[in-house]
Amino acid sequence: MTALLDARGVVKRFGGLTAVDGVNISVGAGELVGLIGPNGSGKTTLFDCLSRVSAIDSGSISFDGVDITRRRPHQVARLGLARTFQLIRVYRELTVSENMELSIQWRRIGTTRLFGRTDAATRRRVESLLEFLMLSRLRHERAGALSGGQRRLLEIGMALMSEPRLLLLDEATSGVNPTLVSEIADRLQEVNSNGVAILLVEHNVGFVAELCHRVVVLDRGAKLAEGTPSQVMADPAVIEAYFGAEGE
Amino acid sequence: MTATRPSRPLPAGRPGGPRLRRVLVRVSFGLLVALAVLPALPGVGDSALFTLTLMLTSVAVAVNWNLTGGFTGYVDFGHAVWFGTGAYTTAILMSLQTNGPQVGWAAPPAIALGAVVAGALAAAIGRATMRLKGPYFSIAMLGTFVAVREIVRVSGGLTGGGVGLTLPPYLNRPLFYYIQLALVAGLVAFTWWLRGTRFGAALVAIREDEVGAEMRGINTTRLKVIVFSFAGFSTGLFGGLWAYQNTFVDPDIAFVEIRTVDAVMGTMLGGLGTVAGPVVGAVVLFWMREVLWANLLDYHLIAQGVLLIVIVLFLPRGLVGIVDPRGASITAMWRRWLGRGAHPETQEEES
Repeated sequence: MTALLDARGVVKRFGGLTAVDGVNISVGAGELVGLIGPNGSGKTTLFDCLSRVSAIDSGSISFDGVDITRRRPHQVARLGLARTFQLIRVYRELTVSENMELSIQWRRIGTTRLFGRTDAATRRRVESLLEFLMLSRLRHERAGALSGGQRRLLEIGMALMSEPRLLLLDEATSGVNPTLVSEIADRLQEVNSNGVAILLVEHNVGFVAELCHRVVVLDRGAKLAEGTPSQVMADPAVIEAYFGAEGE
Repeated sequence: MTATRPSRPLPAGRPGGPRLRRVLVRVSFGLLVALAVLPALPGVGDSALFTLTLMLTSVAVAVNWNLTGGFTGYVDFGHAVWFGTGAYTTAILMSLQTNGPQVGWAAPPAIALGAVVAGALAAAIGRATMRLKGPYFSIAMLGTFVAVREIVRVSGGLTGGGVGLTLPPYLNRPLFYYIQLALVAGLVAFTWWLRGTRFGAALVAIREDEVGAEMRGINTTRLKVIVFSFAGFSTGLFGGLWAYQNTFVDPDIAFVEIRTVDAVMGTMLGGLGTVAGPVVGAVVLFWMREVLWANLLDYHLIAQGVLLIVIVLFLPRGLVGIVDPRGASITAMWRRWLGRGAHPETQEEES
């Protein structure tokens, strides 16, 4: 499988602390990959590096063959990489529809259209995605008035609005009602079956095992294991990282 | 799935329901007509028109400040620098002399070039300062304001230094009044239109979460510099008009801190980040100063400070927030006053 995202030897330091230590990670087109690890293992920092929200200290990152190591986040987003955040980032003062309309593929917006209004095609896409994410009846609500789970869904919808080829999802089920977790899993599988690759950071190991084709485990900033969900869950090093050494 | 906090459905686009927007448009049109016929009324002389023109200048500066401070969330403590730049460029061009007869430019091209110079300077300075965030940006702009004023003061050959420059007098007050009224009406209509465009929505996105906006593909630096340059251009335009009406500029009246303070206070009083807020706030603040504070000469700065505290505590969304369904209702305001309701800006995350 050709790598859509390919990161080699990524290092990120905060002063004396090495948060990400020479990690190699790749995601193929249409693949659904899980990224797990104990608290503080560097998952979100690695996400920030991959999406160029944080600059890396060494290593290289390419997306669809384009070197994005020095690109700015909006340039990476325009190439087709979208992400969500551990702490939900929606525009609380704007309505659900406005949040979605704002998350269009800005690459296609030239200077003239920058001063235009939302067109019919965008409105149709908003409607269809809101329907898909079960948020249609909340389209005129302020995003700040939604529940945590609804805001998670909205953030995923905003990421999908830009028609990404790779979706980085940071804790997509965190703080979400358990009944909604299975709905989110269904939606993500459907998105993935339409050809969108997904890299998923999750604490919910069962969710990752059920959903992902491949799992990467981080511990203390370095890659600890990689393989299918069953291989990784049976790996003694992974068990030790999550539960401590046997007999401790 | 249900929303944890019920709220009235609102149409997408600008804040407020369609009925409220219709009322606001009619009220605005009525006010515009009233202001247009005002000079024809008996008893309205040049002095009153000059005062009204100054009020329109305050409105324009507040509306321009709101583009960066309100819509985009970049609180500019040096905004008056664009006013002074426009005023000085106009004054320099209009008072050019060569050993004898005055060969200064006519007012329209001089004022227009003053606006262009202010806009270009804003673009150059904005490219550097708008990379800074929060208080760092605000302080950098305050520093820019002080630095430019001192450069003007020491460049005596060009600017007249501390003595200033005198412009050729043209004291047609009604003409100035009508020009400014038309420009302010156009500026407010422009900001109303801009807020409804993708560009306007992207500015709000930058204010709410700049990293998130970048990650959604918005080139935040480009948009911030565009809006900052426009604000500089527009404030420079009104600076040029003011210089021509005042017939005199010196560093202490063209570059005066209170112009920025008034823009900030007027916008906050009316409603930060709204289209109508800076207009309402600047008008109320102007007349409070003219009418009320003229009688409290020794205490007017204290009154100004108290007003700012009251706005922040009890009207965080400003005067227009009272009639905006997304803002504070009078009932909610009273609840907060009585300590029975949460402040909208301090409500906890509900997830």
